Amino acid sequence: MGKSNLFINGTKGDKAIVLGNEAIARGALEAGIGYASMYPGTPASEIIAVLDKNKRNIENLYTEFSLNEHISLHGAIGASWSGVRSLCAMKNVGLNVASEPAQFLSYTGIKAGLVLAIGSDPGAPSSSNEQDDRWYSLHTYMPIMEPSNIQEAKDFTKDAFDVSEKFSFGIVLMAPSRLCHNAGALYFGDLRDRADIKGDFKKDPENYLNLFNMAVRNHTKYLERNELLKKYLIESKFNKIINGSSSKIGFISSGVIYAHLIESLDILGIYEHKILKLGFTFPLPNELIGRFFEGLDKVVIVEEAEGFLEFQIKKIAYELGFKGEIYGKDFFRQTGELTIDDVISGVSRFLEKPLPVFFDSAVKTNKELRDKLPQRSGTFCIGCPHRATFYSILKAVGFSNTKGKERDVVIAGDIGCYTLGLLPPYNAMDFLTCMNAGLGIGQAISIFDKKKKVIALVGDSTFYHSGIPVLLNAVQNGADILYIILDNSWTAMTGHQKTPSTQKDIDGKSSPNVLNLKDLVKSLGVSYVKSLDPNSVKRFASQIKSALKEPGVKVLIAKRECILQEVRRNKILNKNGAGFAETGGSLYEIQKSRCVKCNECFVELACPAIILKKDEETDNDYYYIDTASCVKCGVCYEICPNSAIRKVEFDLKTEFKLSGKSLAVTL
Amino acid sequence: MKKFNIAIVGLGGQGIITMGTVMKNAALSSDLQDVSGSERRGGAQREGYVETFVKYIFYENESEMKDPRKSMHSPMIESGGTDALISLEPLETLRGACYLNKNSIVIFNKTPHIPISVRMGQTSYPEISFIVSELRRITENIFFYDFDAISIENFNSLTQKNIIALGALFAKADIPIDVTAIENILRTGKGAENNLKAFKLGLKL
Repeated sequence: MGKSNLFINGTKGDKAIVLGNEAIARGALEAGIGYASMYPGTPASEIIAVLDKNKRNIENLYTEFSLNEHISLHGAIGASWSGVRSLCAMKNVGLNVASEPAQFLSYTGIKAGLVLAIGSDPGAPSSSNEQDDRWYSLHTYMPIMEPSNIQEAKDFTKDAFDVSEKFSFGIVLMAPSRLCHNAGALYFGDLRDRADIKGDFKKDPENYLNLFNMAVRNHTKYLERNELLKKYLIESKFNKIINGSSSKIGFISSGVIYAHLIESLDILGIYEHKILKLGFTFPLPNELIGRFFEGLDKVVIVEEAEGFLEFQIKKIAYELGFKGEIYGKDFFRQTGELTIDDVISGVSRFLEKPLPVFFDSAVKTNKELRDKLPQRSGTFCIGCPHRATFYSILKAVGFSNTKGKERDVVIAGDIGCYTLGLLPPYNAMDFLTCMNAGLGIGQAISIFDKKKKVIALVGDSTFYHSGIPVLLNAVQNGADILYIILDNSWTAMTGHQKTPSTQKDIDGKSSPNVLNLKDLVKSLGVSYVKSLDPNSVKRFASQIKSALKEPGVKVLIAKRECILQEVRRNKILNKNGAGFAETGGSLYEIQKSRCVKCNECFVELACPAIILKKDEETDNDYYYIDTASCVKCGVCYEICPNSAIRKVEFDLKTEFKLSGKSLAVTL
Repeated sequence: MKKFNIAIVGLGGQGIITMGTVMKNAALSSDLQDVSGSERRGGAQREGYVETFVKYIFYENESEMKDPRKSMHSPMIESGGTDALISLEPLETLRGACYLNKNSIVIFNKTPHIPISVRMGQTSYPEISFIVSELRRITENIFFYDFDAISIENFNSLTQKNIIALGALFAKADIPIDVTAIENILRTGKGAENNLKAFKLGLKL
């Protein structure tokens, strides 16, 4: 095992299982980066997280979880101009926020290599849209590289820095969630000596200043650099033609979809057609495409989303006067994730070749089965303070599932863990789009629809990202709205990065620059601001009720730390202390004799630790607090209208063995 | 080229991604071997459906390993393409059933987690007998255990159920990876003692 941490110590000849995101980070490390930043976002978060986690053992590496993507990319540009290779990462929608620096990057060019790694999210399993950021390059002119597997994720990233310096472009490295979260074998390369990484900013007004004709001149220059890059890409190792036998059919693909394609052709037993693998999907040189077209009658482009390659290649085919047929989105869908199943089916239809029996029958069986299965959607973790916040809001506005009561108040949603509040049983959002849309849209609704009260929600990390000007705007323009900041002290959903609200790190150390959120809100001109613990649901609900009666902008801060972090910190701290039993202590119990199954805890609060059990004697269902998963937040205890929930002492082992019988020993 | 695919499904927080990582790390000994497979992390720790794929690839020789038509592998398993399916939640076994074919081996955990839709009374949770009969329509090789109970019984905690299930997989399926390779990985990781014990418990099932 020699080297304990291959991510920082690995050299040529070493091999390990790594995540796609870690492979990107390792490639950047091999290229000798000195700067790495991001605003966290799934699926890209681990790219910077792994560098940040290890930075104490990496010489001359600066890492930053920036407050937003706009700042993060500007930081990478500043590092590059100082002569330090820089890596910036973000999720797909992050580029909307960073589109302005991205737009100017080609005008100014770079000094040391700059790579922008983007985690796209087709099928939107962790996002509010599935935009394909490749289209941005049609106007930002940022070249795009698309690795197909773990090894390429590392190798391409490393090479991207050289290409970046050679042509003075920031390079986009595109990785969909399937690659970011693919884990597989990686062969390491050597690391560059890191001792000489240091900044030296040299003035370069010719390139860095953009005003009037200076901007026009820089515009001309980057179009010229783009042509030079195109020439380089005709022969580069990144784009490969795999020659077929005498077939007149050709396939073009890139990235993970290329991996799907190669395996699909193997599954279908097809090996005779010509294939073009594009490592660079922007810009595309006409000569390369022309060479691939030679001898072909029919070409199909296999790619995800709306057809970025098809759009470019059809234009090139027109310019070249290609007489064959070109297909793409005719066979491969534009929305949702393009899976290996989609590629197998699409290729089989395109070639008019039957599907393998095992595959066809599995697809058919599954279609019948799917409809019979109850849907499962994500929900808040057990003990999550957001559950209490949503419960309090819904109580305050009179919503009830069990009593079939709707709510009249408009609830503006936003991005974060609390977004899960839009799902059943809470259904507590009326719209959800991008970061900080809630208050902005909500403000106008409050101005134009005076009959309805409006509540806008935001998390602490999202608020710091770009919410401050939105709140100031609402105050300055006389909005009538209740703004609830769900402050759980962490950017939780993306893996718990710190926010300015983080008071204590996971190891118990106090943060040096904790922000007083209440003071910040006050300083923006909000006179009605209160900070409360959302787990005191009755108090919180009545506070929401009274706030809704007040005019103007009201801010309530639902302040309670993310339960996962609290539990983790306690575990770490208790390990150092004495005699902490993970499974012992006092817990809550539902007394069968008093519970009337009113559903207040089971459906309205819907804590997953409250489960349904069958009484073996009477065969009746009853509600039960699962002792193995309850984290003792006590919210159910507070809300039970029949006082059926009480505190008990327990021992998990005997509890489990005897489950089904009333057994807990009362205190 | 030989392939062996394993799909692991369940809910966020059940240790599914860890299982995949252990299995993949056991495949680093030979150069003619490759391993891949993506994770679906959307619902991690939030009761959502999570799946991870482990794809073992064994090349016949070096030239096959360098053949561009053979050496690139999708991170996903296609419908009907898995040799084994492990599920840590009964209902989710059926969501993972799309990967099964008539020769696949299924190992699933009997302890249910009821989804919100069932909680709200909109749908009902299927009986274990229904799950088994649906699976039988595809394959006969079905094994199910109460991994939660075994974990609590032996460790006073739920955290070992994933490694117990991993042991059960090696007991029931002919995995082309040495049991000792898995044990070596467990031995060098966190919580080695409990993990090795849990793996052995699974092997005896």
